[in-house]
Amino acid sequence: MSHLPSIPAQDPKGDKGMIENTTRSRREFLKVAGGVVAAAGAIAYVPAWGGKVLRPEAAVAADGAPDLYLAGTDGWMSLPPGPPIGFFWPDDIAPEPFNTYIFGFRNITGMTPTQKANQKNKAQHSAPLFWLDQFDPNNPVDFRVQVTNLGLALRPDLFDAHTLHWHGFRNVIPFFDGEPSGSVSVPTGRDFTYVYRPRDPGTYMYHCHVEDVEHVHMGMTGLVFVRPLQDGNTSFYSSGKYMYNDGDGSTGFDREFAMFLSEVWAESHWADSHIQLPEWSDYRADFSLLNGRSYPDTIAPNAPIDAGASQHALAVGTDPNGELVAPDGRPDLQYQPHSSLVTCNAGERVALRFANLGFREQAMTLAGLQMRVVGRDATHMRGRDGTDTSYETDTINIGPGESYDVIFTAPAHSGGTGPDTYMLYNRNYTRSGNLDDSGFGGQQTEIHVYPTGSVAAQQYPNDWGI
Amino acid sequence: MTRDTYTMERNIHMRAGYALLVVLALVLATVLSVNGATPASAQTLAADRVGIVCTDGPSFTLTTKTGYISLPDANTMFMWGFSSGSDSFQHPGPVLCVNQGDTVTVVLNNTLPEPVSIMFPGQENVLANGVPAQPEFDGGALTSLTNTAAANGGTVTYSFVASEPGTYLYESGTDPETQVRMGLFGALIVRPTVGSNFAYNRADSQFDPSEEFMVLLSEIDPFQHQAVEQGKPFNMNTYHPRYWLINGRGFPDSIADNFASWLPTQPYGALAQIQEFDPANLADMPGMARYLNVGTEDFPFHPHGNNGLVVGRDGRPLEGPTGQDLSFEKFAINIGPGQTWDVIFKWFDAESYNGDEFLPDGVTPNSDYNPVPVTIPDMANQVIGVFYSGSPYLGKSEVLPTGTPTLNQCGEYYIISHNHALFQITSWGANMTGPITYMRIDPPLPNTCTP
Repeated sequence: MSHLPSIPAQDPKGDKGMIENTTRSRREFLKVAGGVVAAAGAIAYVPAWGGKVLRPEAAVAADGAPDLYLAGTDGWMSLPPGPPIGFFWPDDIAPEPFNTYIFGFRNITGMTPTQKANQKNKAQHSAPLFWLDQFDPNNPVDFRVQVTNLGLALRPDLFDAHTLHWHGFRNVIPFFDGEPSGSVSVPTGRDFTYVYRPRDPGTYMYHCHVEDVEHVHMGMTGLVFVRPLQDGNTSFYSSGKYMYNDGDGSTGFDREFAMFLSEVWAESHWADSHIQLPEWSDYRADFSLLNGRSYPDTIAPNAPIDAGASQHALAVGTDPNGELVAPDGRPDLQYQPHSSLVTCNAGERVALRFANLGFREQAMTLAGLQMRVVGRDATHMRGRDGTDTSYETDTINIGPGESYDVIFTAPAHSGGTGPDTYMLYNRNYTRSGNLDDSGFGGQQTEIHVYPTGSVAAQQYPNDWGI
Repeated sequence: MTRDTYTMERNIHMRAGYALLVVLALVLATVLSVNGATPASAQTLAADRVGIVCTDGPSFTLTTKTGYISLPDANTMFMWGFSSGSDSFQHPGPVLCVNQGDTVTVVLNNTLPEPVSIMFPGQENVLANGVPAQPEFDGGALTSLTNTAAANGGTVTYSFVASEPGTYLYESGTDPETQVRMGLFGALIVRPTVGSNFAYNRADSQFDPSEEFMVLLSEIDPFQHQAVEQGKPFNMNTYHPRYWLINGRGFPDSIADNFASWLPTQPYGALAQIQEFDPANLADMPGMARYLNVGTEDFPFHPHGNNGLVVGRDGRPLEGPTGQDLSFEKFAINIGPGQTWDVIFKWFDAESYNGDEFLPDGVTPNSDYNPVPVTIPDMANQVIGVFYSGSPYLGKSEVLPTGTPTLNQCGEYYIISHNHALFQITSWGANMTGPITYMRIDPPLPNTCTP
């Protein structure tokens, strides 16, 4: 009956990043498997895969208030003009200046109950970008996200529950997984708090998992990443910012940009606003989006961000009613606050965090620069024996539900005035267009390289610094 | 409720539950001893109901058959398939299990009205009727990727030495855009020399043989199958899958037992039933999932709650020239058409979110027994999932509101795995079906699911 997980004492090895323990030492493994190895004769020996096993910790701030408040609801967004798609798009009941019905999340941290209630029918896409620090056993603090279901203003007949599913979170218990059949989900008008102890740095994604074919496609999707414990150590890389606990600075960077990939099938969005059901096996991606926008909107500014309040999530400026403030000069992008324009100084190392919650594989190509893949699916590119498996490429083939962490070094500036421009685009050209004559659009953005010293330090991810 | 009061109430409740469990165990033990029966081990029971069903070699007879399968939208589908010997129609074909170094012999008996063959991708020096297998041509035009058994009763015998361990497909090489789509495919598993509980001849590829599973992903265009059934032509330019299956079944059938009586032609379940990984037990090994894709595009399969460690692809271990480990963890197994991926996985109670239900009397809860650190909403303020026990804790159940159905048996966890090209989570309009299965994590033994 007893279930006492007696975790063997471990040598912390003096590396803050190495809090994961290998369960079996090499010697222990030899005792267990030595007979087999000997019988086999010539097989390559490496330690057994006990995998990384974690020491449970009591968190000191377990009962604190949530660190982030998200609301799930419906709303409207704007995609660039193009030829109509049947009678599905632009949506004939969309309020000006919008054209596409969505479901989505909003960051309602710090709002009054009245302000929160006001955000019904004010969803954004992509969902609020948020990030956490890797769980630190020396300062064990849980990260808590409260999800409030505000309901669907245009479709009260659906009375759908919502959840928060952190896609890729290892060893999750069903209670905090957000998959509704395995545990519970959040009905309209109710709250639920999810607790995370992120043990593994890297790039993940999150989405509502209720009726996920529909809720994911309708826009309840965003990117979340975990900063490594190695952060702040400037002995490996001068910025002290890293993607993983690399121990050698190989994942150090100066700037970081989230690149969240999603899609819009016009017919299904129209169907949800017109109380119809699409046949999902007819799916096609009419629009492909980067951080919720389609080029050239991807290079429009971020909405005004309160940098001081953006410690763990982008805090987009709001008015007294809690309404999002639109990006400068772009009222049509009020509910698409995240820019994808990459700005950097010559010589800087730039981290791109890709995550794909579209339904199709994408081929993100960076023309003229090499990207080094240092992580995939929140896993540092290292074999179990430490073999470096990172690689350089100009194209990331990223399937639905996959993430890639890449770093490129900005080349020297060519001289003259203004930045040098490099294009980042989906090599699957059917998804780098907006169906109009220009041939350009969709999952596409620009990388602007400025002369050294031109761009200020980033205050938050995707910050232009200019 | 605050955390403190919640914990206290739970303690009282769990003590009672613990006592009840002990009584149940005693009663069971008494019954068994009175009858003189020997309780079958949990592993044996589980292995029959879940996990890979091997047809053991190295000599096989595969007979082509026609039949029907059931789909989650209540449709039935006309199929072709390989069956073992004189067995009745089944889908997919038998899982052929052999040992590295075996000389494998496969006799193909063809009952279909057109020639059929079998390709063994990944195998070298395949012989057909004793001579090297070759593509067939008719007047210079390719008619088959390999030697055929003639229509209506023809036979051909393939043989090869299974030289490299791993997971492989076998599938028709004749009119494959029809015959493979119609179901003429199956899995071949080659066990390594070091033992059947290893994926490859590497010490780091060991797994628990009671936790070995198959994830064979396929797709169906119903109009193609209808055309074949009616003897009409089908234009492949109109090919458009409407169903996506795991091991020949769509969810929820996918999590039914192997050989479920209501699925007489679809014998293979896909439920991954495991025990939590115990880091204190050096003999505990992770589970193993063998992924295969016989569809026409990449299937990005996403197991929740664990990063699978990909140790091999297409029957070759991921290692460098001098044995360097090139394995990698993935939360999305993005497997291409015709590929196989060998994935080691486990689930570990990393935060000891186990409550204290397993504490012996007199033991004080400590940091190893973390309660879930949130105030849990009242049941009326939650939507209850059909696999939920009513408790966040493994091995614990709570009374659910009246009228709430649950399929949970003993507080076990259900953590989903599914294709993340989500438009494929359908059966031609029956949404939230198709390529979905679950990882079922049973409470530590003994539990009330398994005596």
